[in-house]
Amino acid sequence: MRKIDLTVEICGSAGDGTLAAGEILTTTLAFQGFHVLSFDSYPAEIRGFGKCVAHVRVSDQPVHSLSGTVDILISLDDSYSIQQLPTLQPEAVVLFDNQPLAPVLEEDQCIAGHLGPGMILYGAPFHELSQQATASGRSRNLVALGAFAALFEMNLEKFLESLRQKFKRKPRVVDEVAAAFNAGVDYVAGNVLKLDEFSFRRDQESETAAYELLTGNEAAARGAIDAGCKLYAGYPITPTTKIMEILSEELPRHGGIVAQVEDEISAIGMVSGAAAVGVRAMTGTSGPGLCLMTEFIGWDIMAEVPVVIIDSQRGGPATGLPTKTEQSDLYMALFAGNGDAPRIVVAPTNAGECHYWVAEALYLAEKFQVPVIILMDLFLSNRNENVILKPVPQEKLRANLFPTPEELAKGYLRQALSERGVSPRTLPGTENGYWVISGLEQDIYGTPVYDAKNHTNMTEKRFTKLKTALAEDIPPATRFGCEGKADLGVMSWGSTTGAAIEAVERAAAEGRKVAGLKQLVLNPFHREPVARFLDDCKQVLVPELNRGGQFAHWMGMHFSREFLRMNQVTARPITHTEIYNEIRKVLEQKP
Amino acid sequence: MSPEPPIGKPELFYEEEEIAHARQVRGVLDYRSERLPTWCPGCGYFGVETALFDTLHELKIPAKDTVVVSGIGCVGRFPFFMKCYGIHALHGRALPVATGAKLVRPELTVFAMVGDGDGLGIGAGHFPHAARRNPDLTCILFDNNIYGLTKGQTSPTTPHLQVTNSHPYGNPDNPLNAVLMALVYGATFVARGWAGRPKDLQLLIAEAVKHRGFSFIHFLSPCVTFDKVNLLYSNLEQQTQPLPKRHDYTNLEQAIARARDPELFVGLFYRTERPTYADQMHSYGERGEKS
Repeated sequence: MRKIDLTVEICGSAGDGTLAAGEILTTTLAFQGFHVLSFDSYPAEIRGFGKCVAHVRVSDQPVHSLSGTVDILISLDDSYSIQQLPTLQPEAVVLFDNQPLAPVLEEDQCIAGHLGPGMILYGAPFHELSQQATASGRSRNLVALGAFAALFEMNLEKFLESLRQKFKRKPRVVDEVAAAFNAGVDYVAGNVLKLDEFSFRRDQESETAAYELLTGNEAAARGAIDAGCKLYAGYPITPTTKIMEILSEELPRHGGIVAQVEDEISAIGMVSGAAAVGVRAMTGTSGPGLCLMTEFIGWDIMAEVPVVIIDSQRGGPATGLPTKTEQSDLYMALFAGNGDAPRIVVAPTNAGECHYWVAEALYLAEKFQVPVIILMDLFLSNRNENVILKPVPQEKLRANLFPTPEELAKGYLRQALSERGVSPRTLPGTENGYWVISGLEQDIYGTPVYDAKNHTNMTEKRFTKLKTALAEDIPPATRFGCEGKADLGVMSWGSTTGAAIEAVERAAAEGRKVAGLKQLVLNPFHREPVARFLDDCKQVLVPELNRGGQFAHWMGMHFSREFLRMNQVTARPITHTEIYNEIRKVLEQKP
Repeated sequence: MSPEPPIGKPELFYEEEEIAHARQVRGVLDYRSERLPTWCPGCGYFGVETALFDTLHELKIPAKDTVVVSGIGCVGRFPFFMKCYGIHALHGRALPVATGAKLVRPELTVFAMVGDGDGLGIGAGHFPHAARRNPDLTCILFDNNIYGLTKGQTSPTTPHLQVTNSHPYGNPDNPLNAVLMALVYGATFVARGWAGRPKDLQLLIAEAVKHRGFSFIHFLSPCVTFDKVNLLYSNLEQQTQPLPKRHDYTNLEQAIARARDPELFVGLFYRTERPTYADQMHSYGERGEKS
């Protein structure tokens, strides 16, 4: 059987139902047993103008990134779709509305006039069919999907199943959209001659039946629930709002609470209060919100309060590009705040890891009484992919080691120094376990003191516990691609890692000596595997979505090494094709 | 007539008696930490401390179930002088922290101790939201009309045109009226006390702790070190007066009118009942299960 790895794109104007169509298509393909990864591109405005694009990558193998090229384009608005043409493969297929509501006055406004010689064009009157089927033109996106389903031999039953799932809260709509969908199917069956060879026919059920289709945000929310999070406080901000919305519905069923508060300062304040008195608590935000939380991050480090903060990054600085992805908050996650303020920073690379690392972050925060920042990004938050979630181990649901009443009766010191850097903890309600925690430097008795020796000891303690976390819990970076010495190494972090893995593996499969390193925990991290990787690689390339090369810099602070940078501020994810091309370029420029 | 004290240890005899009284009758030592307060002699904050200890003792609230959250400023140090669970939070942020703690551990008795700069300046954004959420905690706003810990700058309650270290030509801003704010923000318990009447204050604190919901006490207290002209004990003695006997504390309009009155009324302005933040949040789970 022919291997499938195709990208379908639906392009329209805000209000065309472009993203809804993309979601239904993704769900159906997943139901059919394909591996999918889909991602939407949309403007920050709700209505009126702006291009919406739903990208869906489909494969019979697991996929980790977007390809950057398009095999099949569904155009709901030709004026926008024409802009997508440069990404189309030479033999791409385009499906368009050949009788749109607004008549095309000039030839160059219609996509038909722009296609390359090898491309195949199918037209169907989406708008007209929608009106015939539902007495409204609003369902033209469904007509397009019906035409698509018929053309590419998809399982129509699975399609209707995903329609029902999508509109489960509006059962009255289901019949209407199904009618529009069927109109598209029937039109193609009766009027269109298939010329291309693409097919999404899937005869047998595959192993992906066990997979779930989740976005990074959904996976992160599940991680919070699975790890016993009892309070999530947040303030709406793209692209993290969805985590709050999901938890608002789900957390109360699991004995937890979601508080929507007046600002991000209050969000982390509430989380800090709740964590201080003993429950697992977290907040989520994006860059601008993390700015507001900065003072509290320092306080949580000083007062040793276990909080977890998700920062799903978007284009910055300031309000920036609210609906576009970027990886430019790494400096902030690592360094934000005054003073020497060590914290744990984790950057999951896919939805499965978002789930696992939110749970793990809640565990690590509690065990080491330290804030943990989880760096996601808009791409990771919003992309839909099929994953199998790793269960959260039972023993990670509790990390506090409380002193016994006998020990407490002998005298208890909340700020005691210890070899591990972790002080014994008590919670309100405990007899003889009294404490005062503070943003002031305190001595072991809890009294604010400002002397040199104490500040030295306490600062050391805050760094020591990260060393302990490293020794006890934090996994080392892992290598992929070719083995042994390599001509080129690729180091990446966060959502870019998926593209790096695919690009490196493709290059390695072609016999090139290219290896990659995947680092999940960015602070603290094990030096040795990174040092070994750097020694093994003649040159090291760091692709990331920021201008300054933040990760390359961070590595440069630890290893004296030149890094080749691949920095993009294109407001969209790096594709595996782009990294692959860069790998070839570097290897071909023999020094 | 008490007998003549034995020669050589008169003070000791006196202290022991006081300590026994404090321990057994007033329970003060159950809540006092071994750290001595760092407030200036004559500061009104000592009175709140004593009133609070006495209240907790009377209401039989054990120290282990008491959480005192504070911000930054002279009042910020409050938890250090108490034996309980103390959270000395960031400048202005006591209310969110206290709300979070109370929300997840409703069995605890939670206090938020804030100052005028702390609660009405840098942290003023949290005040309306705490009031409208109605978390079951007691917020005492220690108002000395000045920034004390940074040595005498203008605060959000410093009177118009008063000369301070940061406004040598007089304060250009109008002062805020904390009681009026609490009332219009929807606080369910609003009172004012002052440092010269610690016994009255104790009654207010006891009522505030017993009240289910957001209890707000505006506590006027002279800064004896950095304010020599405005909020003095002698001035407050003349300016303050108890709310009239006929004041109806269930009537919001009346409470607002009295809060706006140039007379500085002390006592309980307003009290009402409303479901607390935790009541509502914890009932979501039941609703969630039903759906």
